Amino acid sequence: MAELSKDIVGRKMDPFTFTVERGKVKEFLQAIGEKNPIYWDIAAAKAAGYSDTPIPLTFQTAFTFWGYGDKFWTDIESFGIDTKRLLHMKEEYTYLEPIYPGTTVTCQVEVIDVKVGKMNMVTFKNTYSDGKGKSFIEAEMAIVIRPEGM
Amino acid sequence: MAKIQFAAVNEGQDIPELRVGPIKQMDLVRYAGASGDFNPIHNDTEFAKSAGLPGTIAHGMYIMALMGRLVTDWVQPNQVKYYGVKFKGMSLPGETMVFTGKVKKKKEENGEKLIMVSLTAANDKGEVKVSGDLTVKAE
Repeated sequence: MAELSKDIVGRKMDPFTFTVERGKVKEFLQAIGEKNPIYWDIAAAKAAGYSDTPIPLTFQTAFTFWGYGDKFWTDIESFGIDTKRLLHMKEEYTYLEPIYPGTTVTCQVEVIDVKVGKMNMVTFKNTYSDGKGKSFIEAEMAIVIRPEGM
Repeated sequence: MAKIQFAAVNEGQDIPELRVGPIKQMDLVRYAGASGDFNPIHNDTEFAKSAGLPGTIAHGMYIMALMGRLVTDWVQPNQVKYYGVKFKGMSLPGETMVFTGKVKKKKEENGEKLIMVSLTAANDKGEVKVSGDLTVKAE
């Protein structure tokens, strides 16, 4: 595996698309124990001013894992990040436009910062857009790589 | 559920607490399937130990998702402008998580009525696992 270095800043994973399926959203809602009718019941969502049931706040995490698949982990390894020693440190979402079932989202992951030191840290930017310039969510994720023996 | 009104919220106010748990290994299996995050540190005890962990640990994103329930039990999903977390400690199967939030600040900016909330996920012994920040667009 490559050594982690600042050279990976600017590296991008391949763009991919993910179409939000109602069943996949329900599976996620069940997994997190979310029972709020706004996410389940189209009539309740419409009564509250949505055009359909909105996705829950963190569902976009599934876009990468299901839309990009295991290539996410092999790309991470190819960046010089030891997945066995990786811990999630930060996740941030800025919500710009709602995402509903049926929406096809264009996604891309980019390395925007690397800190090499006692603890190595990598920050990624994830963009979620309609592929035509409209952004749904802007996201940042930071991970830390535990040194050996920790 | 109605939208949160700016005038009805006060700085220093607590938002209604959410308790979830104890977290079971099965919850992490379900979350892995739903999210697609099959990193074995969350579902394979031997692998987790070989990686130097005490055993399997919860996905940080599972805890963030539970904290998201706290948020939209209180405000409408389309009122959330920003939601971010920092992971401070590992959440382990067997732990019960307590999610709380406190209104830090209210401000009007660019015609928006914003409410800033600090969020915390701790186990029932008070050990903080995740801290979060939330910005809500109020009516």
